[in-house]
Amino acid sequence: MKRLPNAWRYLITVSLLALLGIAILVQIIRIQNSPEVAGVINQGNFIWKDFFPPRGEIYDRHGNLLAGNKTVYEIGLDLTANPDMPTILLALQMSGIDLNEVNYRISQVTATAQYIVLDDFVSANKADNLMTLQKAAHGDPTGKNLDAIYFKAHYGRSYPENSLASNVLGFVTEDNHGYMGVEEKYDNILAGIPLRLLVPADPRRATEYPTIPPGQTIILTIDREIQAAVEKILDQALEYTHASSGTIVVMDPRTGEILAMSSTPRLNLNDYQSIKTVFPGETPFNRAISQAYEPGSVAKILTMAGALDSGAVKPETITFVPQYIVVGGFRIFNWDGGAWGNQDMTGCLANSLNVCLAWVADREMGSASFYSYMQRFGLGHATGVDLAQETSGRLKLPGDGDWTPVELGTNSYGQGVSATPLQMVMAASALANDGQMVYPHVLYAQIQDGKQSNTKTQIVGVPVSAATAHTISEMLTNSLEIESSAARVPGYRIAGKTGTAQIPISGGGYDQSNVNASFIGWGPVDDPRFIVYVWLEKPQSNRAASVVAAPIFKQVVEKLVVLLDIPPDAVRRQMIGQ
Amino acid sequence: MNNVTQIVQKVRQAPWRVQRQWIGVFLLGLVLMAMVAGIYLNVTVRATLAGREIIGLQAFITTNQRVNADLETQLAGLISIEAMQHRADNLGFQPANPDDITYVAVPGFVPQSAVDMSTPNNQPVTPVILPEYTESWFDYFLNQQVSSPGGQP
Repeated sequence: MKRLPNAWRYLITVSLLALLGIAILVQIIRIQNSPEVAGVINQGNFIWKDFFPPRGEIYDRHGNLLAGNKTVYEIGLDLTANPDMPTILLALQMSGIDLNEVNYRISQVTATAQYIVLDDFVSANKADNLMTLQKAAHGDPTGKNLDAIYFKAHYGRSYPENSLASNVLGFVTEDNHGYMGVEEKYDNILAGIPLRLLVPADPRRATEYPTIPPGQTIILTIDREIQAAVEKILDQALEYTHASSGTIVVMDPRTGEILAMSSTPRLNLNDYQSIKTVFPGETPFNRAISQAYEPGSVAKILTMAGALDSGAVKPETITFVPQYIVVGGFRIFNWDGGAWGNQDMTGCLANSLNVCLAWVADREMGSASFYSYMQRFGLGHATGVDLAQETSGRLKLPGDGDWTPVELGTNSYGQGVSATPLQMVMAASALANDGQMVYPHVLYAQIQDGKQSNTKTQIVGVPVSAATAHTISEMLTNSLEIESSAARVPGYRIAGKTGTAQIPISGGGYDQSNVNASFIGWGPVDDPRFIVYVWLEKPQSNRAASVVAAPIFKQVVEKLVVLLDIPPDAVRRQMIGQ
Repeated sequence: MNNVTQIVQKVRQAPWRVQRQWIGVFLLGLVLMAMVAGIYLNVTVRATLAGREIIGLQAFITTNQRVNADLETQLAGLISIEAMQHRADNLGFQPANPDDITYVAVPGFVPQSAVDMSTPNNQPVTPVILPEYTESWFDYFLNQQVSSPGGQP
């Protein structure tokens, strides 16, 4: 056997190659399993990524969008790209971007920063302008380009109806938090749940991102058409009455669904930053729920309902109404300071006689019965409406430190007790709804996973019997006829009551030059579809609610019967009979 | 017989034959390694491209959702109550008053009710992943056996 002469060369070469291959394999295995590399992979190949779900949309009861989302931009600057600041600032200014904000942000930059946000929530129009400029300046040989600018699109809140129903909706700030109204009350479900994930930067490890459920869409009970009509009527009313503020609430007394709610001032929600200008000082965002006041004679309907329900009086009960009555050692006068002779209970309501109602509460009902009914009507307690910033008003009770016996008399006609317009609407809903008081709400439905779950009607109490409710409705309807009220709507039987209330001033006593004018009413009386509350604060054209508030009520009802398709009573009966 | 034994011994004992065998075995291993490395590289590249595509598609989906929301809001602005009233005014329409309306009884008429925004199909959409991407070799062969007509017991 003869050995090849260069066999050792082959042997060495093969051995070296084998050793090299083994060394490479060993090195690969070592690197892949070393803790250092694992750490590098965890830190460098994975990045934290924030997923912000789009905020839930808000619709009115007919599916019109009231609050949605739009595209806005974060505009950033790459400081490592040696940006030409004068050119960039000029471009920003030409695009309509506020340089004050930009300069402030630039002034906050640290020496080690590599990237800064020049401005955020920039509108698509302004960002488009800047993109156009960037494109035009791209590759400028002098270096005066805008290549260091980066755009990052994201969601921003938008209100296509601007100020419509702003008192109800509230607004969302740039940190995606809702304030006031529905946006604050339902912030948790509207905002959704942001998610922060460690995602692989290595595309080989790319996996499908988890589905981030968007914020829930909600549908409000608000009717856009009615809301717009009410706001227009209110604005016109403030013009000719020169009232300092106004509030109108429209609710379905059968369900508690608030169809419209407006108070002044109103805010363009797309410009929520101007809130301090529009609502100076302590101005309530929504007076219908956040400003309690002494409602005055509109509260007489509750006193009379309690008296009728307790059996203290009947509609035909006749009493002599003198010039004044003494309650708790104090004289209580009628609104005109005069005596009104014999009056039945309908006459007492029609003529809004304080002395008569004080007599009913003090002499016929007694404080225990009277305050029991007032509490059953919900006075002194917040309604729990699903809107942020609700206040409860105050109903002083016997036994409270600051309650005095005269207040039984004054409370009977709505003075010395405070309530919000919505509290009065909720209380009156019992009278319009067979004695059943409904929970007022603005949430009609929530949409989740494609399913709509509607809010159910809630009865929060039955302060009076159905018979009492029908009786008081009839009395109030007749009283409107008796006084030939400006609130009457031809063809429709409407129950209603005016309220001209004095305004308490700090330090005690009442403002002698200003009043609150209110009106509450519902209809059609035999099948109520709406309850309307009107409140004008400090009207200047006339002090009497029958002159300034009643016509506004009429205007609202005239719109409602059209928008809610409510035929005149005679036509409706004829249709039912067919 | 002796001749055969001698030949076998010669072949076994020839060093160059032993060396060639070793070289052959090594080269075979090298070729196998190269093949595995090639397959690994191919799979890695394809996985990378697929990953890039996934990331791109996810960004595309996100962008589309945002654009859709934006367009929906723009549309709502175009049909806002103010815009619609303005258009109605321009077209010569006037708001109806109660006196302007004549009511007619229409059998079967259902008054307008609040909106129902439920989506017809409430089944959540789940991504379909083919079994080829999840099953093992064992599962694959088992499924092949089960699915083939002859494989049934």
